[in-house]
Order: sequence, then C-alpha cells, then structure tokens
Amino acid sequence: MIQLLLIPAALLIALVFGLPLVRYSWLSFHADSVLTGLVAIPNHGANWLRLLHDQRFWQDTYQTARFATVSVSLELLLAIAIALLLDQRWRGRGVVRAISLLPWALPTTVMALGWRWIFNTPYGPIEQFAELIGLQPLNILSNPNITWLATVVGDVWKTTPFAALILLAGLQTIPNDLYEAFYLEGGHPRAALFQITLPLLQPYLLLSLLFRLAQAFGIFDLIQVMTGGGPAGSTESLALYAYLNAMRFLDFGYSATVMISGFLLLVLACLLVWLIFQQASHWREAIK
Amino acid sequence: MNLILQNIGRRFGSKWIVRHLDLEVGEGECLALLGPSGCGKSTTLRLIAGLDQPNEGSITIAGEDVTTVSPVDRRIGMVFQSYALFPHLTVFANLALGLQVRGIAASDRKRRVASVLALMQLEDLAERHPAELSGGQRQRVALARALLRDPLVYLLDEPMSNLDAQLREDLRPQLRHLILKGSQPVVYVTHDQHEAMAMAHRIAVMRDGKIEQIGTPQELYHNPSSLFVASFIGRPQINLLPAESGIIKAIRPEHLQLSSEGIPCRLVYKEWLGTSQLLILESNRGPLRMLCASEISIPETIKINWPPEKEHQFDASSGERY
Repeated sequence: MIQLLLIPAALLIALVFGLPLVRYSWLSFHADSVLTGLVAIPNHGANWLRLLHDQRFWQDTYQTARFATVSVSLELLLAIAIALLLDQRWRGRGVVRAISLLPWALPTTVMALGWRWIFNTPYGPIEQFAELIGLQPLNILSNPNITWLATVVGDVWKTTPFAALILLAGLQTIPNDLYEAFYLEGGHPRAALFQITLPLLQPYLLLSLLFRLAQAFGIFDLIQVMTGGGPAGSTESLALYAYLNAMRFLDFGYSATVMISGFLLLVLACLLVWLIFQQASHWREAIK
Repeated sequence: MNLILQNIGRRFGSKWIVRHLDLEVGEGECLALLGPSGCGKSTTLRLIAGLDQPNEGSITIAGEDVTTVSPVDRRIGMVFQSYALFPHLTVFANLALGLQVRGIAASDRKRRVASVLALMQLEDLAERHPAELSGGQRQRVALARALLRDPLVYLLDEPMSNLDAQLREDLRPQLRHLILKGSQPVVYVTHDQHEAMAMAHRIAVMRDGKIEQIGTPQELYHNPSSLFVASFIGRPQINLLPAESGIIKAIRPEHLQLSSEGIPCRLVYKEWLGTSQLLILESNRGPLRMLCASEISIPETIKINWPPEKEHQFDASSGERY
C-alpha cells in the first residue's frame, strides 16, 4: 500500500527524465534537421555511425571526462578538508559555515562571468599581477593548453561547498565516543582520520562523488559563459556539443545521438565508481 | 595498583559540575558512582579516563600522577554506555585495532584476540559486524576490548543500561567475575542502586557534583548520613515522618510492624510481591509504605509501630543526620 504514495514522485520522474530519454533515444535513430525540413525520418543508425567517426565528438568526450575527473577529485579533497575544519569547534564557526556556502548559492552564470573577468587578458587581476611581477601575458582564456584548467578552477570554486556540506553532514553522524574509544585504545588523534573518520564517511563520499560526477559530466552553463567552448574547441563539453548541434546546426537527430551517448557514458562512470566503493567496503551491507 | 582523586574540580563556565571531590579506589576494588542524572558521576569518569581535564585537583593511577597525561597514554579499560564499537570493523578487527595501534606484532595480535574471544565465548561471532550483534553480545565485545587493553584501571559507564532486565541480572555475576579477576581498581557508574549494590564493594552516592556519602552497600543502607542517601538507597523508598523541632524521622518500610499501640493507619492499596507484600497506608502524619510477610491478612484500619533502634533522624533543613 505504501508504494502507492510513491506514484506522484514516480510520475514526475517519468515525465521529467523518462520521457525525454525515450524521445531522444528514438530521435537518435532519425534524421531530423533543416535538410529534412525538421521532420524526423528514420535513418537506420546513420547518426550512430557518424558519431563513431566524429573526431569532434571523441575530443569532446575526452575533454568532458578530463574536466569531470580533475575537478571532482579536487573538489572532494578540498571538501574533506573544509568539512573536517567546519566540524571542529571554534569561535566564529557558524559565520564561516554560512559564508562557505555562498559560492554554491550564486547563479552559475553570474559567477562564470566573474571568473571570465578574473582571467581576462589584459585587464583581469591575474594578468595584472603577472605583469606586476614581470611575467609575459599568460593569455589564460586564449591558450588551448591551459584554458580548461581555468574552467576547472571555476567549477571547483562553485561546487566544493556542495560536497563539503554533504561530507559535513556525514561527519556529524559519527558518534564522538567512537573517537574517545579509539584514543583510550592508544590510538593517536591523527590516526583516527584514517581508522575512523574516512571509513565511516565512505557512504557520504560515494554520495557526493556520484552527485558531482553527474553534474560535472553534464557541464554546460559554466563553459558556455566562461569560454563558449573555446579556444579552438579545447574546452567544449559533450553537453555543449549537443547544444550546438541542435541550436546552431539545427540537426536535432544528431544532437539527440550526442546527448544519449553522453548519458550512457555517465551511467557507465557512475556504475564504475559504485562498484569500486562496493569492493572497498562491505560494512554497509552488514548494517542492512 | 590504586586510583586516587584529590580535590577534583571541573567547571563549565562558572558552573561547577564536580567540586572538592576526593576518592580512593583500592587494588581489586569495585567502586560504584551512584546518583541521579546530572550529579557529576559521568563527568568524574571522563576525568579519570582523561577524556576531560579537571580545573582543579590531581588524579593518580598506580602511584603515578596522570592529571595531564593524554587518554592515549593512560592505559584505561573503558566500557561505554553505547559500547562505542567501530561499526565498519568486524568483531575481530574491533578487538585487534587497539593492539595494532599500540604496535603489537600481527601474530601476537591474533593470539591475544583469539584468547579473549574464547574467554568471552565470542569465537562464533568473530567475523560479524557490530550491527549484526545483539545488545548482550555487543556488551561482551566492548568488555573484551577493555580486557585486551591490559589497563591500570577499569571504567564502566552504565554498561548494563541498554540491556533488558533479565539479561542484566544474568550478566552481573559474569561481569563481576571478569573485571575483578585482576588487581585493577574498577569504577562503575550507574544510576541503578540495585546494580550498584550487586556489583560494588563500596558505593559513592553523588549529588550536585559532590560525594554525599561513601561506604559499603550495608553502611549506606543501615546508616545513611543524609536524608538524600536514605531516600535514594533502598526500594520501596524509606518513610519520612516530620517530627517536632525540625526533625525528620526515617524508617524503612520493612521495619514498620503491626502493633496494638502506635500510629493509626488506613490501608489504601496492597501490592503482592511474592515473598512479601507492600502496603500503602494513609495516616494523619502522611502516607506510609510498609513491607510485611505476604501471608498476613491486613484489616482496613491498623496501628503501626517500629523498633526505636531502626529509626533514623535527620535535620529537616540541612538534611544531615541528627
């Protein structure tokens, strides 16, 4: 009976996620562009064949995976440190907790514009500082080798608070007497991080990792505003490529193909992470 | 081996949780800290463990002043009320972790854990996680961990309060046997006077951060030094009769007896307890509790009395023994 109560939520998810997925999967097997007069015509997997040989698609896949891996790793490391700090008792902690959430509360577009200005050549503060200490202009947003790192910085700044919040909530579920028992056993407070804190934080690490991986894999707004995918396509993500196919090239069939393949890659990545965590720990099964 | 607390004081802000506390627990002695919640008994235990630092006084364990020694180096075997088992580790790993962090070789570790598992009859549970154990099993693991610590002092913080009444009674002799086998002093915190009387050689009754009275269970029962101790120790609760000139007379329910002369009472309520019966009486001096043999039939109105030597007298204002 209680399952009946889930129907509204299930319906909502079916409408918001299920329907578009089905529609786009269907569309990925059709030609639907200006050339077909925006009418969907079955093309027997031609979109998928094209995808396989599309250099730009593979480059964007690599770039998206690189962006997601590097920024999510940095975010989690920073988030662990911040969560540990915010979990300690010290004067002014409440204020710092509130402030540390600000980047996350800011609209991405606004903060991406901010970062674009910070990295701007020659007027941004970074270039100004480089000039001050006598460096050549860095051209951060126009050097295909390093621009992606600037987008990573923007993403880390924006979403670390989110991961830190999840981890802080996790830290607060660990009873203090576990630490006390560990000390009385002769364990050093520094060793407690690896023996107690991190193992017990594992479900929360997994949660924030999956959340962040999904968001980073579908990154669009930050890139669109900061670099527009450039220079020379070096920061273009899969979501951006799908968007361009639909909105600039008006090729909806192929855009759907890119979108669905990005979705499948993400599912694969999440599955992989989940499996790794399953292997690493079995105690959560024990609790069930 | 002994434990000495001298003039211990601990305050949070300006409020003293424990103050002017002196305590000595001898070799192989079990001392219970007994009192209502908020009396400072848990704080005292945490101070001994080093999990909290006193603002005043000193703590000596086995002849060594440990007041400023960190809990890591204090060699305390503690059983927490929650048991504080590590949820991500198996029973075996829970027990081995302490040995591991203290730098004991893997083979030695295995041998020691195995022997304590056997002692506590936990061998079959070695590969389980704490979540898969019953309350009693968890308590045994917590105790096994304390034993493995090879401590100088045992501290037990309400170790039975999460168990059901039957199990508690079953475990008492076992617990007593295990912790008193060694020569370590044992401090046992509880709010349950039955448990304190069953487990401890001596009981320190605490109230508002001070020790109200310390002595054997018999001393506390027969010779309470204050109104508080008299009322706190013994169930059913002692009878208090206000008398003339600011004195309160206290008589245990089992010392009241039927007589031809005495206070006239009316029987309000009767509780049959098996070997005895508890009578709730009403008199012109207030309600009274009386225990008497279960086979006697009690009429509606009776007169009661007590042997004068069984009567305690307390000062009504200070609560001290008169």
